[in-house]
Amino acid sequence: MKNLILRFGIAIFAFIAFGWSIEAQTRTETLAITNARIVTVSGAAIERGTVVVRDGLIEAVGANLKVPTDARIIDGTGLTVYPGLIDANTNLGLPATITPPRGQGQPTTQIAPTTSNSNYPDGLQPEEMAIERLKAGEAQFETVRSAGFTTALIVSREGIFNGQSAIINLAGDSVSEMAIRPAFAEHFTFTTLRTGQYPTSLMGTFSAFRQMLLDAQRLQILRQTYDKNPRGMRRPEADKSLEALLPVLNRAMPIVFNANTEIEIIRAVDLAKEFNLSAIISGGQEAWKVADRLKANNIPVLLSLNFPKRTATASPDADAESLTLLRLRAETPKTAGKLANAGVKFAFQSGGMTSIGDFLTNANKATENGLTKDAAVRAMTLSAAEIFGLDNRLGTIEAGKIANLTVSRGDIFSKDKTITHVVIDGKLFEQKEKPKTPTPATGGATQQPATANVGGNYAITIEIPGQATAATLNLIQQGETLTGTIAGQFGTAPLKNGKITAEGFNFSATVEFGGQTIDLDVSGRVTGNQISGTITTPQGAIPFSGAKTP
Amino acid sequence: MKKIYKFLFLIALLITSPTLLLAQSKTQVLIRNATVLTAVRGTLENTDILIENGKIAKIGKNLKAASNAKIIDAAGKFVSPGIIDCHSHTMSDAVNEFSFSVTSMARIRDVLNPTDISIYRALAGGVTTANLLHGSANAIGGQNSTVKFKYGKPVEDFLVADAPPGIKFALGENVKRTNFNPTPGAVARYPRTRMGTMEVIRDAFVRAKDYKKSWDDFRAKKAMIQPRRDLELEPLVEVLEGKRLVHAHGYRSDEHLNLLLIADEFGFKIATLQHGLEAYKIAPEIAKRGTGVSIFSDYWSYKLEAYDSIPYNAVILWKAGVNVSINSDSDERMRRLNLDAAKVVKTGVPEEDALKMITLNPAKQLGIDKRTGSIEVGKDADIVIWTAHPFSVYARPEMTMIEGEIYFDRQQDLAKRAELQRERETLEKLEVNRPPGAGATGTTAPPIPKEKRQADHDYAEDGGNR
Repeated sequence: MKNLILRFGIAIFAFIAFGWSIEAQTRTETLAITNARIVTVSGAAIERGTVVVRDGLIEAVGANLKVPTDARIIDGTGLTVYPGLIDANTNLGLPATITPPRGQGQPTTQIAPTTSNSNYPDGLQPEEMAIERLKAGEAQFETVRSAGFTTALIVSREGIFNGQSAIINLAGDSVSEMAIRPAFAEHFTFTTLRTGQYPTSLMGTFSAFRQMLLDAQRLQILRQTYDKNPRGMRRPEADKSLEALLPVLNRAMPIVFNANTEIEIIRAVDLAKEFNLSAIISGGQEAWKVADRLKANNIPVLLSLNFPKRTATASPDADAESLTLLRLRAETPKTAGKLANAGVKFAFQSGGMTSIGDFLTNANKATENGLTKDAAVRAMTLSAAEIFGLDNRLGTIEAGKIANLTVSRGDIFSKDKTITHVVIDGKLFEQKEKPKTPTPATGGATQQPATANVGGNYAITIEIPGQATAATLNLIQQGETLTGTIAGQFGTAPLKNGKITAEGFNFSATVEFGGQTIDLDVSGRVTGNQISGTITTPQGAIPFSGAKTP
Repeated sequence: MKKIYKFLFLIALLITSPTLLLAQSKTQVLIRNATVLTAVRGTLENTDILIENGKIAKIGKNLKAASNAKIIDAAGKFVSPGIIDCHSHTMSDAVNEFSFSVTSMARIRDVLNPTDISIYRALAGGVTTANLLHGSANAIGGQNSTVKFKYGKPVEDFLVADAPPGIKFALGENVKRTNFNPTPGAVARYPRTRMGTMEVIRDAFVRAKDYKKSWDDFRAKKAMIQPRRDLELEPLVEVLEGKRLVHAHGYRSDEHLNLLLIADEFGFKIATLQHGLEAYKIAPEIAKRGTGVSIFSDYWSYKLEAYDSIPYNAVILWKAGVNVSINSDSDERMRRLNLDAAKVVKTGVPEEDALKMITLNPAKQLGIDKRTGSIEVGKDADIVIWTAHPFSVYARPEMTMIEGEIYFDRQQDLAKRAELQRERETLEKLEVNRPPGAGATGTTAPPIPKEKRQADHDYAEDGGNR
C-alpha cells in the first residue's frame, strides 16, 4: 500500500516536474503468460505456470499464480518461456566505417591527429564507445528479435582496440533507454593497422599495446603526484586514449581479447597476466585445448557459435584440405561441452554469423556434442549475465528482474520450433506464425532443397545486340548467399548482394565499360551444366547463356 | 620452526606433484654402438652415450644403464649434435614490423607459433635449435628468440631459458628500400641510403644513452619524477650494457665494417654478422673484434648487393680465426643444413670444423654453448641419429632428440601415416567437411590449403627478406 502511494506520488511529481518525459517513457502494458512451460534457469523448470510482467519487470512467476485483473493474458498452452536470449558479442546496430586499404592516403610515420585529445591513430583508440555509435530505434533489430534475442553485447570489430562494448536491450526508442551497461569492457583484436602506420605487424601490435599500458600507468602516477602538488612539475597530458585504459589497468573494466586459435588464446592469457588484467576471451573456437589455463586464470569465454563449415566447392585439381582444417570443423561443435566439463565459464555469441538462425541451430549442435541442454540455455542467458556482472537483473525468470523473455513453440533447440513472442523491458513483440511449408507429395524421402545448386565456373556469352561478348562467371555458393566474380572485357568485378533461391540466383555488380561505370543486376538459373538469365543495365536488359567449365 | 614448515611444504609438494616426482627419478636413455661425431673431440667409433634426465651423462664403450632405461641400438649409424640454425624465421606469425626504421620494441617471442609444421620438418632434418630473427626491413629490428624445436609442447617450453636475449640489425637494400616500390600515397620511410642507415643506428644509440642516463639519474635520486619506460630504447640500453646480442644482417663488406666501427664508437660488440657474403674481405677486422659470421655456404647473386661472394668465404674466415656458422634463413633449406656444411669441406675446411659450423659455432654465437652444440658430458642431450655420415647425400635422420626426449622418429612417422590416412577418411565423410550441395559423397575436390599465414612474411618466399 505504502509502495503504491509512493509510486503514485512519484508519478505525479514526475508529471509536474518533467511533463515531457511521460510521453517518452510509455508505460508498457501488464502481461501474463499463462499455462506455459517456464524455464526459469534460476531453478527447476515449471511445467505449467504463469509469468506476470509489469512496468518492464517480472512481477511474479510460479505454478499457481493469480493472474492480475489488469493483465493482458497470453495463453501459453504449448509454449515454453525462457529468459530473454543474449548474444554475447555482435556488432549489431553499429554502422560499418570504411577502412582505407593498406598504404593509401596515410604517411608511414605516425602523426598525431590534430583534432582530438588522443595521440593515437584510429584503431588504437580504446576510448571509442559502441554506445555512441549505436543508432536509436528498434526496427533495425527485428530480425534478431524474431530469432529470440532480447539482449546483446555490441562492439565494433574494427581496429586493434575495438573500443568499449555496451550491453543493450534490443528494443527501445532511444539509445539511453536501450542501454543496460553503456560501457562494459574494452575489446582487443590481434590485428594490425591497415594504413601503413605502426603497428603493421602482429609483433608491433603487442609492443604498441604494452607501451600504451605502460604510458597509462605512468599517466596515473604523474596525475597523483601532480594533484598533490602541481608546483614545479609539468602537467601530465590529457590523452583520452590513455585515460580510457585506466579502468582496464585497475581491473575496474575487463578486457575482451578476440582469440580463436589455441595460440591466440595463450597469447591473450599471457598478456593479461603480464599486466594483471581481468580478461575475457571472445571467439574461443579452440578454447578446449587450453581449458586448463582458462580455468586456472578464471577467464570466461564468449564462445562463438559461428562454427567453421566448408563453404566452397573448389577446383577439381586442388590439393586435399589439410587435416588441421578437417579436424577443426569436426572439433568446434564439441568445444562448449568440453569447456563445461572443465569448469570454464562461457556464454554463447553469434561471432559474425551471416544468418542469426544458425545461433540456435549450432547451440543445438553443441548439445549433440557433449553439452547438456540446461547448460546450453544457461550459456545464452544467465552465464552471459554473470560474465557481464548483470546477473542480479538479467538472465533468469525471477521476480524483480528485467522483463526479458523469449517464448517458443516447441523446444528452443528443435528444428521446427517457432519463436512466438519476445518480451523486452516488458514490451511485447509478437511474431506472426510462419506459414507451414507444404510437404512434398512424394512421401518426403527426398526433401526439396531450399536453394538451387549453382556454385562453379561458367563461360557465358552476353548477347549484346550486334556485339555478343564473352565473359566468365565464378559463383561461390554459401547457403543462400552467393559471392564470386564476373569477368570479361569490362574487367573483373565482385558479385554484390548475391542471393540463391530455389529457382535460381541473382546478384548485382559494378563494372567499367567504355569508360563508364555501369551497375548490373543479374538474375539467372542453372539447369544441369547450362546457365542462362538476364543482365539488366540502365540501358536495358540483355540475355546471357553459357555452360559450366570443368 | 620455519625449517620444519619448509620441510613439510616440500613433502607436500612431492606428494601432490607427480611431475616433480618424475623429475626426481632418473630417466635414462642409452644409445649403443654408434659412430659419434662429437663436434669437439673427433669421431668416436662403436661408442655408447648414456643420457640421464635430458643430459649427456657418460660417453664411452659398454656403458651400463638402469633396467628401465630406453635402449637405442645405433650400430652402423652416425650420431651428431643437434643442428643449430643461426638465422631462421620459422614458427613466426610475423617477421617484419615495417613501419619505423627502429623497431626494437617488437618481439618475435610474442608471435611464436608452436604448431608450425616447418618445425617438424626441421626436426626431420636434424635441426634442434634455432635463432628466430626479426626480418631485415629496419636498421634496428626487433628482438629475437632462441628456441629448441620441442614440437608438440606448449610455446613457453620452446624457449631456451638461459639464452642471452638478442636483437636484429640490418643494413643495405632491405633497409633503405630504394629497390621497393613505395606504397602509393605514402611518404617514403627514412633512410633511403646506406649513409642514412648508419645515421639511424647512431641516432638510436645516442637516444639510448640519454635514456640510460635519465634512469641512472632517477635511481641516484638526482631526478624526482620517474622517467617514462620506453620499450624501444630499453633493449638498446641492454646492447650498450653488453647484455643483448646483436645479429646484423648485411651484404657489403664496407657496410658491415661501418657497423663494426659504430659499435666500437659506442663500446658494444656485434655478436654476429648475418649473411656476410663479403665478410672474407674484412676477415681480420672481424676476427679482431671477436664477432661471429653466419653465412650461406654457397648461395648468392639473388640481388645486386649480394653479388660479390665466393665459395671460399667460410674457409677464409675460418683461417682468420672467425667463428663461422652456416644458416638457412629458409624453412626449406633448414632441412638440409648438413649438406650445406658438407660443401665447405671441399674448399678446405676440415670435417669437424665444418660440422661445428652447424652445431657448436652457432651455439657460441647464440651464447648457449654451455648447454648444447656438441656431444660432451654435462650438455643437453640434443642428438641426431643418422643413417649415414651427415655429410653424405644419402644420410637422413633416423631420430632427433632434444634433452633426451625424442621429437622425430622416422619409424614412428612411417607407422603413423596409415593412421592419419584413416583419420582423414573418417573426417572427410563428416557433413561439416563436405562442400555445400555436394551430396553424400562429396565428389568435388577441396581448395588448395594455405599452409601458412604469409601476410607478414615480407616476400620471404622470393628472397626479399634476405
